[in-house]
Amino acid sequence: MLSIVDLHVRVEGKDILNGLSLEVQAGEVHAIMGPNGSGKSTLGYVLSGREGYEVVSGSATFEGHNLFELDAETRARAGLFLAFQYPVEIPGVSNMEFLKASVDAVREHQGLPPYDAVTFMKLARQQSASVSLPPEFLKRGVNEGFSGGEKKRNEILQMMLLEPKLAILDETDSGLDIDALQVVAEGVNARRSDENAFILVTHYQRLLDYIVPDFVHVLANGRIVKSGGKELALELEEKGYAWLEPEVA
Amino acid sequence: MPDQINAYLDSDYEAGFVTDVEADTLPPGLNEDVIRFISSKKSEPEWLLEWRLKAWRDWLKMDEPRWAHVQHEPIDFNSISYYSSPKSLEDRPKSLDEVDPELLRTYEKLGIPLHEQATLAGVAVDVVFDSVSVATTFKDKLLEAGVLFCPISEAVHLYPELIQKYLGSVVPRRDNFYAALNSAVFSDGSFVYIPKGVRCPMELSTYFRINEANTGQFERTLIIADEDSHVSYLEGCTAPMRDENQLHAAVVELVALKGAQIKYSTVQNWYPGDKNGMGGIYNFVTKRGVCHERAKISWTQVETGSAITWKYPSVILRGDHSVGEFYSVALTNNFQQADTGTKMIHMGKNTRSTIISKGISAGKSQNAYRGLVRMNPRAEGARNYTQCDSLLIGDRCGAHTFPYIESKNASAVVEHEATTSKVSEDQLFLCQQRGIDPEKAVSMIVNGFCKEVFKELPMEFAVEAGKLLEVSLEGAVG
Amino acid sequence: MSGFDQNAAAALTSRADAQIWLEAFRDLNRQQWLASHWPDRKTEAWKYTPLTPLAQGDYLRFPTAGKVQIERARYDIPGLDCQRLVFVNGEMMPELCQLSPAREACCVTRFCDADEQQQALITQHLGKIAEATDNPFVALNGSWLEDGVLLQVAADQRIEEPLHIVHMTTPDQQAFSVRQRLLVALDSGAEATVIEHFTSDEARQNSFVTGVSEFKLAAGARLTHYRLHLEEEHNIHIGGVYAQLDRDAHIDSFFLGLGSRLTRLDLRIQHQGAGSHAQLNGIYLSKGTQHIDIHSTVEHEMPQGSTSEVVRGIVDDEAKAVFNGRIHIHPNAQKTLAELSNRNLLLTNTAEVYTKPELEIYADDVRCAHGATVSQIEDLSLYYLQSRGIDRKEAQVMLSFGFINELIGALRHEPLQRLLRPILTQWFGKDSGLTRHLL
Ligand SMILES: Nc1ncnc2c1ncn2[C@@H]1O[C@H](COP(=O)(O)OP(=O)(O)O)[C@@H](O)[C@H]1O
Ligand SMILES: [Mg+2]
Repeated sequence: MLSIVDLHVRVEGKDILNGLSLEVQAGEVHAIMGPNGSGKSTLGYVLSGREGYEVVSGSATFEGHNLFELDAETRARAGLFLAFQYPVEIPGVSNMEFLKASVDAVREHQGLPPYDAVTFMKLARQQSASVSLPPEFLKRGVNEGFSGGEKKRNEILQMMLLEPKLAILDETDSGLDIDALQVVAEGVNARRSDENAFILVTHYQRLLDYIVPDFVHVLANGRIVKSGGKELALELEEKGYAWLEPEVA
Repeated sequence: MPDQINAYLDSDYEAGFVTDVEADTLPPGLNEDVIRFISSKKSEPEWLLEWRLKAWRDWLKMDEPRWAHVQHEPIDFNSISYYSSPKSLEDRPKSLDEVDPELLRTYEKLGIPLHEQATLAGVAVDVVFDSVSVATTFKDKLLEAGVLFCPISEAVHLYPELIQKYLGSVVPRRDNFYAALNSAVFSDGSFVYIPKGVRCPMELSTYFRINEANTGQFERTLIIADEDSHVSYLEGCTAPMRDENQLHAAVVELVALKGAQIKYSTVQNWYPGDKNGMGGIYNFVTKRGVCHERAKISWTQVETGSAITWKYPSVILRGDHSVGEFYSVALTNNFQQADTGTKMIHMGKNTRSTIISKGISAGKSQNAYRGLVRMNPRAEGARNYTQCDSLLIGDRCGAHTFPYIESKNASAVVEHEATTSKVSEDQLFLCQQRGIDPEKAVSMIVNGFCKEVFKELPMEFAVEAGKLLEVSLEGAVG
Repeated sequence: MSGFDQNAAAALTSRADAQIWLEAFRDLNRQQWLASHWPDRKTEAWKYTPLTPLAQGDYLRFPTAGKVQIERARYDIPGLDCQRLVFVNGEMMPELCQLSPAREACCVTRFCDADEQQQALITQHLGKIAEATDNPFVALNGSWLEDGVLLQVAADQRIEEPLHIVHMTTPDQQAFSVRQRLLVALDSGAEATVIEHFTSDEARQNSFVTGVSEFKLAAGARLTHYRLHLEEEHNIHIGGVYAQLDRDAHIDSFFLGLGSRLTRLDLRIQHQGAGSHAQLNGIYLSKGTQHIDIHSTVEHEMPQGSTSEVVRGIVDDEAKAVFNGRIHIHPNAQKTLAELSNRNLLLTNTAEVYTKPELEIYADDVRCAHGATVSQIEDLSLYYLQSRGIDRKEAQVMLSFGFINELIGALRHEPLQRLLRPILTQWFGKDSGLTRHLL
């Protein structure tokens, strides 16, 4: 589904990703862990098409498409979803209008007609209930004045509505209480199937108790320095990243 | 304001004394003959005389600007003397030893680092005493680096092609009323040329001082930084105490060619007038720089003197990726009036400008920031950030902000923010409670307020500027 | 073409018999108009706004009275319970009006119907709040004045239903001028809502409108005010809103400027009593070759007042927008809080924005802040929407709309939100692909 080969990325003249490679097949859940500043968010941004992230060399292929030839919205429509580490507040644009615009765009790409307003409203209410976001949040500005946890739930809501093939969740679990964490996990698990894949960026084993990954990778200095099964996460939890230092260096 | 601050009062202008040097001074009045006299005194070439005369004719047709937030009696331009030169300098001194000792003592009182001090501080000083440059130090060392630094009157003879090419190229002869007047009668000033790729080996410095009664001072400074060169220039100004108002109308032109950087710092401490608003300098100055590609011009000013300050050091960001900066502290006390700010004219792509202005008003003074940020249609990706803060001390002063923002490019971003605050009794109380006396407390608060600007000043100036604020603030509160 | 000149404008007089009791007022204003300086590029307050459009048509006549059919949809605000006055080209249309029976608490009267007491009230305030000396077009409006609307609310009376005043223009054979005047006098503790709604019936327009409003708020009075400039593009509107607030009075005013080829609106709030508060919000949208100029002045003359002003503008095509926001704190106005924010989106390199948030402060114990920005839509927001599959162009429209929608969402009367949203959506283009998700 996703194949990243020897990816080098530069931001504002600074090399952030230095030869990162990663293969993700349909049906898999990958966890990426790593110290702060190692380039985890950068990976999500460059895959989803944020401006200012310069691909120096390497490639990323998603469902047979060269990702770097597509603009951000086309990647999203093709089924790539990024749950932001820091979701953006957009005052004045209501969450509902935002969600509908987004879902319509993705459906249009799939050759499906847009939902009529009533049907969509129902759907959105239903899904927001499933992430425990009260319906008022649909009327407010996008993420405007939402708490950290509400923003994360709103990200999961978007994921549920857009039904992406590959979802990258960038520290969606950070700062969540246990209930919210379960909401996120349920959202992911509900969507887990042979056709979909996930990349979970996280610092904590905790999330992986709820969403059991197939692979765990450690990202350091812009490269994957160690990969393993779900046990690796436990090991990291116990020992931190320091024991990887030699490999990092 | 509490009483403790009331007590923090009354100091005299420290730089206020008159040097007794026999001067060669023109009688008051302005006409064609005066301009011819000035020009011939300096044995100027014909083209320069013509240039002056054209400026004078333009000036006659112009009106004094009225838009500034300042009030003053009309200036009688015919009651001013337009030339004054210390007589004993008819034959210019060959070295410092030949300089009139009286003059040197003057500089000492002002604390100008001329002798050993200068050497130690690594400062080359071009002193303008009234209208004629009397001594230039470190010329040789600069020459070695290829840096030209001399009075502009000399440069006219030594480097005529540079003068002819650049004089008036940034501030045109008829740019404004005072610039036109300056162009007609300018006396002297500094000339600097930094060759390609040269980093000027030391800070260059000029002290200006108005001495003779009724002499307007009209210096003209021209700094040319050739491609990829660097220079930092310091300007300090003082004037003796007088009852009448004295006019000062200078022009400073900066040219930063491709990749060059000019840093121009000013500490202006002209005589501000007495506590009742009598006397003081009228300071009407035109300062402007032009930046070519990737060039940078940075203006830093600490303005504490003058009865009236009218001054807008500006940058024309002509070249792509060029940078303009303006850092200003303007302090007014008693009856001082300041209307100062900057213009950033963005013409090139990805040009950047930053404006940090700190106005402090005390006594019955009026302190205005006036600025213009213009994004031309071609200024793709240009950015400006302006922060404009006022601090009021006492309830009889005024603090004003007049920022003009003009944008004609969709991708340009202009951001302007302004705030006002006061030295609050709570702050003072807190300081007192911690054992700090109120004088010190006020000066600490003011210094903190100005920190962002002071950090842009060269080291020795920053210290001086802090002290200057302290002195200027005396008697501010009550 | 004779154009528009100062003397000619002064010569144009109202019907001689119109409201004799206003004759002295008209005279005075005519004198002031003649004595005033015709604004040009050197006039600071008109620096960016040339009056050439006025000279392009001879507006120096009043419209011929003609009955016109006006569809209700043109002026109605669905869902709004209100009293309504409808003027077409300055003429009142009684059959379109909807007034509650007169009562003591509140009276809505035309100047021409004013009784003696009301005449006295009008004479007392008219021209004292909007001074002819400080704006020539106030003087011009005054010199042409023959009618107007008075809203008077008695002490401690709270009037629930807004007064909706519709000023409709409709094209005439030749260009013409329309003058409007509104005086609102709220007695102490009184509360009211006024909607000034300028609109026109079709795209082809040839009028020059001067609409001047004066609000006198006694101690503790509260006024909610809307001024909607929704005229079609060929109009010219030069008007002003002037308010004086006594102790603890409160004004909440909103303007929307999107019509006319030339709009100039002067807003002035004078805080004349301690502790008064003004909330001023506004939106201007300018496209094509439109030119809009908003000059707001807030005078804090007494202590403990507060002002919060939020103005946003979007400028497209070759349009121009001018915003001058002045806050003036007088020596006596200690403990004032005043904030002003003006943000602009500039959509093309041929459009122009001129903004000047001014502060003039003569008191030290005050907190003032102002800010202005001119920019594009934020990159990060755009990316967020794009990363959800939304087309870049559509995302831009959504974000631009969101930029002003925040202020619409803050309007106290929901029917107005419902009225304005589609109008604003329309502004972003008829391409439904771009606007389908707004609202
Ligand atoms: N816009 C930017 N400009 C400069 N440096 C950046 C920018 N964005 C990220 N970085 C730097 O890139 C590195 C990786 O950041 P990020 O991908 O956010 O790390 P992580 O998500 O793993 O904590 C950090 O050192 C960060 O400071
Ligand atoms: Mg991160």
